[in-house]
Amino acid sequence: MSVSFTINGTRRSFDGDEEMPLLWHLREEAGLKGTKFGCGIGQCGACTVHLDGEAVRSCSVPMASLDGANITTIEGLAEDDALHPVQEAWIEEDVPQCGYCQAGQIMATVAFLKDTPNPTDEDINTGITNLCRCGTYYRIRKAIKRAAVAMQSA
Amino acid sequence: MPALSRRAFLQSSAATATLAVAISATPFVIAQDSQSSGGHVTPCLRIDADGNITLCVPIPDMGQGMETTAAQMIADELNVNLDDVSVELMPFLGTVNDGGRAVFGRFYQGGGGSGSTMRIWHEIRGTAAYARALLLEAASRRWQTVRSGLVAREGAVFNPASGQSLPYGDLVPHTAGISDISEAGMKPKTANERTIVGADARNVHSRAIVTGKPLFGIDAEIPDMLHAAIRRCPHLNGRVISFDDTAARQIQGVIDIIPVDRIPEDTAQWRSVAAGLAVVAESYWAARKGAEALEVTWDETVSTGDDTGLLREKCLAALDGDGMTTSIEAGDLDAAFSEASHSIEATYFHPHWAHTCIEPHSCIAHVKDDEAEIWVGHQFMNSAINGVKDATGIAPEKVKANFYRMGTGFGRKAENDFIIEAAILSKATGRAVKVTWTREDEMEQDYVNQLAAYKLRAAVGQNGAISAWHLKAAADTTPAVVTREFPARLIDTYKTEYERVPNGVTRGAWRGPHHNVIAWVIQSFLDEVAVETGQDRLEALLSLYDRKTALKSLNWPNRDITFDRFRGVLRKAAEEAGFGKSMPDGWGQGIAVHHTFVSVCAHVVDVQMTGDRDYRVHKVTSAIDCGLVVNPLGVRAQVESGIMDGLCAAKYGKWILDKGLVTTNNFDTYQKMRINEAPSEINVHLLDFGDEEPRGTGEVSLPPVIPALTNAIFAASGKRIRELPISENL
Ligand code: FES
Ligand code: FES
Repeated sequence: MSVSFTINGTRRSFDGDEEMPLLWHLREEAGLKGTKFGCGIGQCGACTVHLDGEAVRSCSVPMASLDGANITTIEGLAEDDALHPVQEAWIEEDVPQCGYCQAGQIMATVAFLKDTPNPTDEDINTGITNLCRCGTYYRIRKAIKRAAVAMQSA
Repeated sequence: MPALSRRAFLQSSAATATLAVAISATPFVIAQDSQSSGGHVTPCLRIDADGNITLCVPIPDMGQGMETTAAQMIADELNVNLDDVSVELMPFLGTVNDGGRAVFGRFYQGGGGSGSTMRIWHEIRGTAAYARALLLEAASRRWQTVRSGLVAREGAVFNPASGQSLPYGDLVPHTAGISDISEAGMKPKTANERTIVGADARNVHSRAIVTGKPLFGIDAEIPDMLHAAIRRCPHLNGRVISFDDTAARQIQGVIDIIPVDRIPEDTAQWRSVAAGLAVVAESYWAARKGAEALEVTWDETVSTGDDTGLLREKCLAALDGDGMTTSIEAGDLDAAFSEASHSIEATYFHPHWAHTCIEPHSCIAHVKDDEAEIWVGHQFMNSAINGVKDATGIAPEKVKANFYRMGTGFGRKAENDFIIEAAILSKATGRAVKVTWTREDEMEQDYVNQLAAYKLRAAVGQNGAISAWHLKAAADTTPAVVTREFPARLIDTYKTEYERVPNGVTRGAWRGPHHNVIAWVIQSFLDEVAVETGQDRLEALLSLYDRKTALKSLNWPNRDITFDRFRGVLRKAAEEAGFGKSMPDGWGQGIAVHHTFVSVCAHVVDVQMTGDRDYRVHKVTSAIDCGLVVNPLGVRAQVESGIMDGLCAAKYGKWILDKGLVTTNNFDTYQKMRINEAPSEINVHLLDFGDEEPRGTGEVSLPPVIPALTNAIFAASGKRIRELPISENL
């Protein structure tokens, strides 16, 4: 079986093991290391990407399900040199410590803000569930709010 | 060590530049090699042909911000703006000792003990100042003018007299061969000359991180490498009895199945490498599928007695047994207790915690006949290189090591098992092999924080002050640190004892080793005593730490502790938090202080009970004394991080051994806090006691936040938490 899809706007097709999670296709075959492996069971969110605009945990998305899908990874978020406002906010608030979880946090936040452009603390509490082992949550919360403001005034 | 091998050794680098250095006669200065500097002016500065400046930092970053902190020190001496330069990790610049082990050279190149900043403080600034002197000297020779009239700023040397300027890049070739810089000409800046050290600096790799650049060890790949997934024995200290690899070998891409023996073989000794079966394959996914397809019969009998419930009982029983060893004592304990108007006793217990490093471990090794190369994220450069030697017998001079950023370390990425495995498999296959761990591997094969029980007794006099202190600790390690901790010796009559309960659990350093749990035991018990004797909790602490001016710590690194710092951070945190203010029903505040290694930190935690068995932390107010602060923004990040780590471990941390089998092996069974449980307000105050040197930060805020939390829960609910995790004991 062959499936075809786009990653960051580029067409790709795949005819390998259809059980393989998208995460490993991205990291090992598409050369996109920004999407991270944290748990492999959909618990941590380090592997978050966008599938047709929705945030999904790519460790739990089998390749077989991807025919016709449009996938965006952290590498495809900035347009040319212009960072996405969420990426900008992450830098402004100095969120990253080790940085390992942050691609997933950012991808989750971008999708979250699309549905919830003006989030309350409670919205953030229920909408963002990614794990950060460095405990950057205090700054993530500030960065989400900063990005929301920036995106509304854009 | 012979010159040639030393050269080869120094060529190990994640950067492409070939750097050979010679150590000058001047202390703490390493000059560049005039033959092949590769654009280097000392090991901390590299400028390419286009004039782009790269600052090279000695210590790997695992989130503690060392690359940013070190870059600030270098940038300040060189008068360059951090936004205008790149920052990269230096290669290992150490040497080999007489025992044939890699050891640090001029620069400390490891992350641990919250000591990195202070350990490079003199060396890195001295080296950068020397680079500045070389650039000034080169310009003065070009212009035939005296060096003292020239100014280095914004990446160039200016001659105010003539208005001329030369970018650093143009001067690099002219620094070669300069060897007669006077010591006075290369002094690091004084405090009031510094502009970047002491100012907020954002993570220098933020842009690379938020755009998903491959910075981490797990992102490394090299041409033609094979992948390995190892099916490790999930039973503690177990081994493979037999296996059937028929199905595994049928998976497309699987090349070979290679048994990996436990190291050492003697299961009575701590595990250094777990027994297992390695599946070597063309791709990581094929290796993983192969590993899952193996049919294995394990010997699960070795450590069935290592069981969380059993160990707990053994430790609690040991507290009342006769196997205790006295650690320190003074005064007449029995007399003090019989004379006391009051005596208070309590028993505390905590289980093991897992590291849960967010980045599962990985390593690429390429072992050839008598040389090897590795690509890895590791906390200690020397130790990583020694791991290859241990696995292969190849001398450290023949090991080239490429180091990467780490997705947290917490002490676990100071171990070498993942390096040894990769080296063994590369040697066995004759190919470069990348070993990648799963989350289950990372948790099952962890070197966990200790499990321990404690009994504390305090004799209290008429005035409410503690007149005698008696502490016993029993743990699956030797729990000596807690027995040497204050308030023993602040209180003149004391006795502390410990016992190690025999077991086969592998333990290791976990952020703030020992301190991470003993601060809770001690500061919670002190809170109990204050409450029971009707004292103000803050005043009781302030007067305790006012009993003596200073004492030498009996715990590593054995520094003199001055208690005005304890009182200072306590007062500041209390004042900023409004400690003692009246709060609504179901709310409470807790306060605690602890010094970890060299620095001291106090927190006030504000909690609200949300039902009988749960709570919400609304606010944490912190005061820290970590000596001279290089990066206030970074110190605050570390304090915030330690707070989260402590709140999380206290509430949920419980790594469970069920008769030798780890049953908490992923985030579904081992819970971690997310943003919904994070305090929405954290206020961090950095105190200045006039230090001229840094003291360390990364582990310091964690220990006292746990007692501040449990003391707050007591204030809010009347429930004293004497056993962790809180989620199971509230
Ligand atoms: S790796 Fe996918 S959720 Fe953790
Ligand atoms: S920044 Fe390190 S895990 Fe989130």
